[in-house]
Amino acid sequence: MSILEVKNLTHTYDGNTPFMHDAVKNVSFSIEKGEVVGIIGHTGSGKSTLVQHLNGLLKASAGDVLLDGVNIWDNPKNIRSIRSRVGLVFQYPEYQLFEDSVYKDIAFGPKNMGLSEDEISARIKEICELVGIKQEYLEKSPFDLSGGEKRRVAIAGVMAMKPEIIIFDEPVAGLDPKGRNDVIKMISDYSKKYGSTVLIISHNMEDMALIADKLLVMNKGELALFDTTENVFKQYEFLKSIGLNVPIVTQVMLILKEMGVNLPDNIFTVDRAVEHLLNISNGGNCDA
Amino acid sequence: MLKDITFGQYFESNSFVHKLDPRSKLLLLILIIVSIFVAQNAFALSVVAIFIILSVFLSKIPIKMYLKNIKAILPIIIFTMIINLFYNASGTILISFWKLTITTGSIYRALYMSARILLLIISSAELTYTTTPNELTDAIEKLLAPLRFVGLKNAVHTLAMMMTIALRFIPTLIEETQKIMNAQKARGADLENGKLIERIKALVPILIPLLISSVRRAYELAEAMECRCYNGGEGRVRMKQLKYSISDYISFVVVLVVMAVVILINIFL
Repeated sequence: MSILEVKNLTHTYDGNTPFMHDAVKNVSFSIEKGEVVGIIGHTGSGKSTLVQHLNGLLKASAGDVLLDGVNIWDNPKNIRSIRSRVGLVFQYPEYQLFEDSVYKDIAFGPKNMGLSEDEISARIKEICELVGIKQEYLEKSPFDLSGGEKRRVAIAGVMAMKPEIIIFDEPVAGLDPKGRNDVIKMISDYSKKYGSTVLIISHNMEDMALIADKLLVMNKGELALFDTTENVFKQYEFLKSIGLNVPIVTQVMLILKEMGVNLPDNIFTVDRAVEHLLNISNGGNCDA
Repeated sequence: MLKDITFGQYFESNSFVHKLDPRSKLLLLILIIVSIFVAQNAFALSVVAIFIILSVFLSKIPIKMYLKNIKAILPIIIFTMIINLFYNASGTILISFWKLTITTGSIYRALYMSARILLLIISSAELTYTTTPNELTDAIEKLLAPLRFVGLKNAVHTLAMMMTIALRFIPTLIEETQKIMNAQKARGADLENGKLIERIKALVPILIPLLISSVRRAYELAEAMECRCYNGGEGRVRMKQLKYSISDYISFVVVLVVMAVVILINIFL
């Protein structure tokens, strides 16, 4: 059974006012345990609205969200326990830090779950090791850290709740290349270690090619595509028509292919591109 | 909850009220508020009420927008009603228990006081719906301009700029608060339940990030303004010059008539 199932979800903003509009229209999909799913779409395509339904921050105007086959709104009083099972890391999560030490800030989520002090401190140790926050940082004020470090602490704060599904809204926005790599690595380490399902909203197709198994493409509030990363990126023309793109390396490979170089159209990472190009150049040089 | 507060939200339309000069709208609002407070009985107040309701229709703003505003201050209205219900001993006694009595006079008083608050809210909401924050501060700056003759040369412009900025950032702050609330709720924060003390404590994770981001925003805005060579009001000119038109004069006449009627009713009734 799918761990997460969304059925005919529709969300209407500002109902009954002149500003009324559907942010999400009749979206259905299901996600299996352990999958890493990328959510891509043009700005305002309803991605953020969609993910806020998955942990019950928003209630759909129509449609259901099933977690492990159970409707998350079956027992509205239990919605907080749903939120510890489906973690959501918002855009720029460092702006939600508030405690006077990194330790206390990461402990906020686990504490809200009602865990014991011992359990909380064990979890914090475990998560900090996983995401590379050094022990001596735990006593520091989160506001003394650099931007990338703050981001990591904020993400660790959600990870410490050990959610089965963890959703990231633009996790690498505004970070430098090292910060981006750190965060991407954190996410894939977490999902590997705990076998948890990951959903990532991103505009960065390169990152998606690296870590997503499947891609969910939103367009004007509707689900446009939901398929493996490879199958989605093959639809270059369609993605372009809705204001999206494929990774730059794929664009280069497609141009080379058009120029007559013998290349497949499913090269989405630099590593694979290098592999194929070396193959061709070695082969070519030897023959000539 | 938060999105119910629609103060400071301009509502685009092309009505008679929208086209009035912001200075006259501001002055008219002050006159109307004075009339509301001057009106000493239900008849006088209903004259003001009729005028305000007519102006609401003239503004072509959906009634629902006003209702939303009223909903947000409903607790205050109810509170006022309850307090006033026990605070007046005139008239015949209807119910009496312990030290509390409800009389016909107190019911009249409760309704009268809450009607006052309602009218205040509706009329000031109409101003903010029909006037952009920028127009409003332009109007304040213009109206306060004579203060420069009493030595407050830069103060007027600074005050107007501060108000423009404050008004401009109300929706931004509301949005920001909503975002932070959602983020903390996603981390399991409980904002809806618990005893009073617990609920106040639950606000800390929201207020601290909000404060920090406001300070950051203020610095960024100050820098952006300096980058564009902003150095106060000296020598600044306006793209849009304010000008009174015939409808402004008509509106003043109407409002002054309303005021006069209110005062006459006060004297003769």
